[in-house]
Amino acid sequence: MKLTPSILEMDFSEAQQRICRFIKEYVENAGTKGIVLGLSGGIDSATIASLSSLAIGGDNVLALMLPEKENFNQKDIDDAKVVADKFKLKTQICDISSVLEDFYKAIPVFDPSDRLCKGNIKARTRMINLYYYGNKLNRIVCGSSDKSETMMGYFTKWGDAAADIMPIMDLYKTQVRKLAVHLGIPEELALKPSTPALWPNQTAENELGIKYETLDLILCGLERFMATEEIANQLSIHNSIVEKVKVRWLANEHKRRMPIAPKIGYRTVGNDFRLPRHTY
Amino acid sequence: MKDKIKLALAQISSKRENKEANLQKIETLTLKAKEQGADLAIFPEMTLTGYVVRDQFYELAETIPGPTVEKVEALAKKTGIHVIFGMPELSEKTRATVFNTAVFVGPKGLIGKYRKMYLPTHSVFEEKRYFRPGYQTAAFQTELGNIGLCICYDIFFPEVLRLTRLKGAQLIVCISASPALRRSYFETLTCARAIENTVYLAYVNLAGVQDGLQFWGGSRLVSPTGDVLAKAKYDEEDFVTCEVDYNDLRMAETFIPTLKDLRPELFDKLKECSELL
Repeated sequence: MKLTPSILEMDFSEAQQRICRFIKEYVENAGTKGIVLGLSGGIDSATIASLSSLAIGGDNVLALMLPEKENFNQKDIDDAKVVADKFKLKTQICDISSVLEDFYKAIPVFDPSDRLCKGNIKARTRMINLYYYGNKLNRIVCGSSDKSETMMGYFTKWGDAAADIMPIMDLYKTQVRKLAVHLGIPEELALKPSTPALWPNQTAENELGIKYETLDLILCGLERFMATEEIANQLSIHNSIVEKVKVRWLANEHKRRMPIAPKIGYRTVGNDFRLPRHTY
Repeated sequence: MKDKIKLALAQISSKRENKEANLQKIETLTLKAKEQGADLAIFPEMTLTGYVVRDQFYELAETIPGPTVEKVEALAKKTGIHVIFGMPELSEKTRATVFNTAVFVGPKGLIGKYRKMYLPTHSVFEEKRYFRPGYQTAAFQTELGNIGLCICYDIFFPEVLRLTRLKGAQLIVCISASPALRRSYFETLTCARAIENTVYLAYVNLAGVQDGLQFWGGSRLVSPTGDVLAKAKYDEEDFVTCEVDYNDLRMAETFIPTLKDLRPELFDKLKECSELL
């Protein structure tokens, strides 16, 4: 197998059609009134917002914009509005600054210098807002995780990873960018650096320490059972880079699964309790 | 026996765990098949229960004959149409031994059944966890000709369809629940199996999404020389009628004489080598 960018090429019309059908069938079978999603102004949320609109109509998609003081970026809000206008989404702005402040104050051991723990509160607060609207309006929450982030564990447990459906979770970031352009999302937005927006000036590629173009090919090789040496050889990179990705890829399986329980009963949730997942 | 028969490829999306709704679909489309002059209506693998039902297979499985088959027998009798469909079959001798089975019913009752021989247990498939494999190929002499049955992954194994053909099948029906990523394999293999056996091959796949899996539809009738004579839509439910003309078998068998040229001694070698793999 040749590990070149062409391996990540796909028929984006077909991908769009398949994802839209998945969204539409899920919403219909669940008997809900539509979708609520967080619209950050980034590429992943723009992509799920447009796919949701194409699947069930913009009237049935509520896009929450959830800004906060520390990370406020007018450009992100403007980009989110461009997407909302283009795909005729319903929008609502909920400023979460005061909630966050109250959270920080309510935690006796709160340490403002620990930006990861603090940032995770932001991701989980966004989730609480999304699920409030989901509950209240009888809508499902649509998540925006992509495959690169998911496989690297680059997300907040019970934060941005909490959702009812994840329409782009089987697409790597570089594929999401191409799908976004195919959907008509402005190229400038599709190519802007990704960030989970947990603290100012945070970017995914800086934190992961690798460009998505390389990361996605490594992940694709691991997905297809290739040995690390073979991946490194084909990409002309040092084996330690691939090893580092693989360690993270393996170590984060706990974030991708149900919480583990000791096996005591006849059939155990998350283990050998294997029931079909229904939407009703 | 008829020289020509008309098939109805009933490419449906099954409702999971809802036998009543699926039986209703079988009835509606069998009536539609009758209206359109078809002799045989074919439904996908696990039509009765849906494909992704996991541990619920134990609860949903039924014996053959059993309540569902009796209902389909009554439908076949009422309409005069033959019906092939898929369901989880419970062994009559045990309480939790289940097979992935294709059932063949005619206006005079149950004609026969085929238990899937090759159970995929890789990627998204977990069939060996739930099913016991079948041990017999199936070809049934009927008023519609000699019709053989196989199920989905069986088509990757040329020996299954070869044996079915050697038992006399002139039309092999393959019912399937194939997810989208596998489309190109099935599009190739349906033609290959038809050509190498000079046999009509009717492939009927599920459509729709079950637990995130998109079944790609694309049901088809392939001629003994590999021409796709009829094809249903990709991904969505569809209903297509098409004609099998058994007179074409003679032309096919003279032009592609694979059956005349068979070398039985190679099958011994095949057995020997596969045991040593």
